[in-house]
Amino acid sequence: MKTMRRFCLECGRLLRSRETWAVLLLTLVSPLAGLWLYTPATGTTMLSVYLANPALAGGVIGGLLFALLTVVEMDRAHRCRADVLLDAVASPLELARVRLAALLAVAVGTTGLALLLWLPAAALRIGAVFDGADYVLAGVLFFGFSLVLCTLAAAAAYSLTQRLDLSLVLVAAFAALSLTVWSDDWQRSWLSPGGVWALSDDFSNSRLFRSVAYARLSWLAALGGVWGLAYLCIRRQGRGLLGSLARSARRLYRPALALLLVGVSAFAYAAQPFYDDSNPDLSAMTLYEQEIAEGVVCTGRTADVRPNPARGTVQGAATYSFQNTSGQARKIAFGINPGYEIRSARANGEDVPAVRTGYEESNMALVEITIPADETVELVLEYGGLPRDWNLMTVQQGDPEISAEYLCLENQTLAPYLLNVAGEGEPIPAQIEITLPAHMTALPFGAQQAEVVRENADGTVTWRYAGAGPGGILYAGDYVREDVQAGGITVQLYYSRKHEAIMRQADAAGVVEAVVEYCTAHYGALSFGAAGTLKLIQGRVRGGGYAAAGASLLDEADFTAANLADGQKGAVPGEVMLHELVHQWWGLGNMFDVETADSPWSAEGLTVYTTYRIVKELYGEEYAQENYVDKWREAVQDYSLNFYVRHPEYLTALPEAERLRIENSLSTVRLYSEMPLKILRAQELVGGEEAMDEILRGLFNREVDWNAPYLTYPEFLDACGLTEEDLDLAQDLDL
Amino acid sequence: MRKILIYELKRLLWNRFFLGILLVLLFAGWQVLSGVTLLGVAHTAPFSPWSFGDYLRRMLPLLWIGALFFLTRFTSGGAQRVAVLTDATPVPPRRYAGVRSAAALLATALLCLACLAEALGFYALYFGGEVLGGLWAPALFVLLPVLVFALGTAWRLGQKRPWLVFAWMALPLLLSALPLPAELGLWNGTLFSEYPLRLGTLDPAFSLPGQAVAMQGAFLGAGLAALALPFWVARR
Repeated sequence: MKTMRRFCLECGRLLRSRETWAVLLLTLVSPLAGLWLYTPATGTTMLSVYLANPALAGGVIGGLLFALLTVVEMDRAHRCRADVLLDAVASPLELARVRLAALLAVAVGTTGLALLLWLPAAALRIGAVFDGADYVLAGVLFFGFSLVLCTLAAAAAYSLTQRLDLSLVLVAAFAALSLTVWSDDWQRSWLSPGGVWALSDDFSNSRLFRSVAYARLSWLAALGGVWGLAYLCIRRQGRGLLGSLARSARRLYRPALALLLVGVSAFAYAAQPFYDDSNPDLSAMTLYEQEIAEGVVCTGRTADVRPNPARGTVQGAATYSFQNTSGQARKIAFGINPGYEIRSARANGEDVPAVRTGYEESNMALVEITIPADETVELVLEYGGLPRDWNLMTVQQGDPEISAEYLCLENQTLAPYLLNVAGEGEPIPAQIEITLPAHMTALPFGAQQAEVVRENADGTVTWRYAGAGPGGILYAGDYVREDVQAGGITVQLYYSRKHEAIMRQADAAGVVEAVVEYCTAHYGALSFGAAGTLKLIQGRVRGGGYAAAGASLLDEADFTAANLADGQKGAVPGEVMLHELVHQWWGLGNMFDVETADSPWSAEGLTVYTTYRIVKELYGEEYAQENYVDKWREAVQDYSLNFYVRHPEYLTALPEAERLRIENSLSTVRLYSEMPLKILRAQELVGGEEAMDEILRGLFNREVDWNAPYLTYPEFLDACGLTEEDLDLAQDLDL
Repeated sequence: MRKILIYELKRLLWNRFFLGILLVLLFAGWQVLSGVTLLGVAHTAPFSPWSFGDYLRRMLPLLWIGALFFLTRFTSGGAQRVAVLTDATPVPPRRYAGVRSAAALLATALLCLACLAEALGFYALYFGGEVLGGLWAPALFVLLPVLVFALGTAWRLGQKRPWLVFAWMALPLLLSALPLPAELGLWNGTLFSEYPLRLGTLDPAFSLPGQAVAMQGAFLGAGLAALALPFWVARR
């Protein structure tokens, strides 16, 4: 009771202090800085611009203000020379507890006030895609937690040092690290959550909020534990740091609790469930170079996938039919999402061990299962868990999203991916069933169509579709479909129901039609098996996309209300969509071999070049020059002048982790900037755009030799009548 | 006077604050070196004077704060109350103030040396000892004027109002977040990340634009003037 009374007194005292009110008011207005001064979320969605950035900026500024207030308030008694008197009235430990609790209460109250204060403005500015749950979660996780963590950190620093100056230095350095060198590290950036680059307007953000909450709670435990240890060091009875520690630690539960919290946070840091341990060497191909199971073919596979939208997890059962003509037991290699476990493996009804080797690459964990020597083997795998994302993606958190609004399951996240067994002369036939909430539509990423096979008693619906090959991608959400006739095919444009007004306002269908007509007229018609249809599926914001035979991805950031209001772009953003649509011609309509580090040739070069041409036609030469050619030049110049590119001997001398970090950061420039520039140079040398279009048309429609189906760089050069030296950029770019 | 200098130095260095800020500096320095400097700035080597200068300017806010905390020992309310006693001693006040300034400068120089030594150790570890050389120029250019300015101006501010020293600590943090003219490019990093690119040559030798040199000269002059002000006033 006495403690509660003191807590109330301390709260009252704090709320009568001018410093407290100054900090509170400044914290309340600090989200404004997120509109122009501190904008870590680079996504262009409305929630990124008008919710994430203000909440993050408010969290940083408010957090630092609360840290300052905490140190000043903790030092007040000492500064006023009242500490001796106060210590005679109450234990310094109890006073520290009460002060911290009061400061935390003010921090929590400020968070609540800020949420109420900014609610109307946020709802008005964000418009139709405003979502109350996203607002509260962003407010609490991005903003509120920063105030609490800063208060705890400052209290811990003061309790440990009992000095205002050293406490301020400790907090300043700790905050500076979080805002600079740790800013991209989702686990270490304690002050402002790292990797929050965009919030989705049209779909859910549950995965992002989960990982941020995890990091925030880990830090809460860590700083709680550190404060608990620092609390034991609060000077008492005239003793020094160690004497006070020895005295306070006599009640063993105190250090035990603090150490437990530190231990829990360390464990949470090490055992985080969101990102994998994939080989940092992006050129590694170990999984795809597994020893082929001689004499074994896969005659078919099925999967029954059951996502749990509430938990963001997946459970499933996959069946593989093998014909084993070798007469020997064979080791079959599977790649599974590193977050999954194989719960059981049964071959022809008998349990067989599924050995997880510990090796992870490209977001796949290698699992080996030995099948018996029987001629036909049916292998049933039960798998599931919380899918982990590739560790490359920690700077762009948010995938894989699995919620009742949206999900995307890619290859090994959908079902175990067969690595060392092929089909019987053709791609492995697959039949996939997935059970989803009734309002969701299942969209296989390809030419195939899913159909509802049953409606379940629990309100879910089971969809089924046929696929081919060892993997496959599935999207699901509350989608609207709009059919666009262009280039002799039907483009099925799928987008979120929430986004319908924006898509119509932006005339997305018109842009799609223009792109398909352009590519068809310049290079030739697409030919797909599935009745001449192409799916264009809007995905959750991810800053890029991909394409497969019969389907391309459209990023939700392609068409946003902010883009529509951008006078320079007008109603013409959609550049991720353009790029992925063009991949239907370059990359799928014409295959390219796997890119290698020593050559910039890949499907990306021609795709980026064609995207530039379309943008030039649709939006004008000046826009295309500024946003494409100039940027390629800048990127290639940066790359060529990079110290490690010019002096690779220093790069090879670095430790492997550092070397890979630098190499990975440089690799994309060659594909996405150097090659398009070379093609642009080739265009000048062959006589202009029309001549280049004719050459590309010839390459697109060439007779494919199926023994060597890839479109190679020498073929491109031959068609242009040029040599590699002709396309050397060194002189053009003044390198 | 030597005894007083040693005494004041001991006051500044032989305590938890110095040890604490030294540890904080070394930890932050390693994070900057391995996270940012290793990549090199403006296409130059990580061990070029430009990258080294960038490292130092990133460490500058912490060094600035550390230097000002040293000063708070001389400008705090408590220290000003003690001044009544020290002024009554036969030691001339301006010489006493000079000794204290020297002690604060020496303590700050020790922090700087720790930063420099850490960087040299990092370079030696990753690139070998042969790359070390020619780094003294950015070190002098970045650290000397700014820290003399910090100590001089903060001393004057602290004598007016002790809390102003704490407010002054925020200056480099504020400047690093603002768009500044080229002359002040040291503060937000553009001097090391952009100026070498404008020189039109690869791996340019370390040179500085006249305005930046003038600005650093102005900082040094203002700092020295602020430190010398009491002597001048006392002589008048």
